[in-house]
Amino acid sequence: MTAIAQQQLHFLPTTRKIPGSFAIWAVILAEMTEFALMFMVYFLAKVHNPELFYEGPTRLNTTAGTANTLIMLTSSFFVVRAVMAMRENQRQLCVRWLWAAVSCGVLYLVIKYFEYQWNTAQGLSTETNIFYGVYYYVTFNHFLHVGWGTTAIAWVIYRINTDIYTKDEHEGLINIALYWHMIDLAWITIFPLLYVIR
Amino acid sequence: MTHVKIINYLWMLLLGLTFFSAYMAEQANPGLNSIVIMAAVLAIKGRIIVDHFMELKTSHKVLRTLMRVYFYVIPALILLVYLFPEQIAIWTSL
Repeated sequence: MTAIAQQQLHFLPTTRKIPGSFAIWAVILAEMTEFALMFMVYFLAKVHNPELFYEGPTRLNTTAGTANTLIMLTSSFFVVRAVMAMRENQRQLCVRWLWAAVSCGVLYLVIKYFEYQWNTAQGLSTETNIFYGVYYYVTFNHFLHVGWGTTAIAWVIYRINTDIYTKDEHEGLINIALYWHMIDLAWITIFPLLYVIR
Repeated sequence: MTHVKIINYLWMLLLGLTFFSAYMAEQANPGLNSIVIMAAVLAIKGRIIVDHFMELKTSHKVLRTLMRVYFYVIPALILLVYLFPEQIAIWTSL
């Protein structure tokens, strides 16, 4: 780096280091904005339809929502432990933690599928009222994120097993870990809004 | 305390807060107190994940601030929508 370039960088804060790449943060911030817009729709629909939003959560399957929250948080924990294992050059341990996270992702999808089936049996659909319209729009969107996030973790496992990621170079693992935490953050917001708060 | 232990304890705290939320969901008539608690639980869970799981506590200041603010704003909106629904409905009517 030239002296001029060093001088130009001098004013940057000492905490400028970012976890992962700039690209993944652009994606994460875009996704968080997308979910924020959905939450705004939820808040607006709620103030205009207070009775429907008071009754709505009482007919949802709180057990399924709670189970999926526990699963998402646990999968995030597994991903953190996988990153820690990679930093200690324990690559097989890292892979095991990641498989545990993939299992959580699959389990989440299975529970959500049965929750939708359960809703249908209760006569609930997107057409029932605006609360369930918002519920299906937000949760199905999140369902898709979990689906491709789980696939991405499986891809990272393949990259570790083929020696592409190492103790010193594993930015792809960090990027997917951050993306998965973003999916977790979206769910921990969705859970109280749709299942708990009336 | 080692980093592993801290992460383990935070994970257990997150699970505990989730069980607490589920318990609150089963309450017959949620009032202001329970809404305040639910908003606080969301803020705490978000802060733990942003700071410790995403490791933003010790890294990029702008990203840390943006992500932390998200989990101040959403809980604040939960409270505002609970406290002033009619006023917000009037402001947002076409």
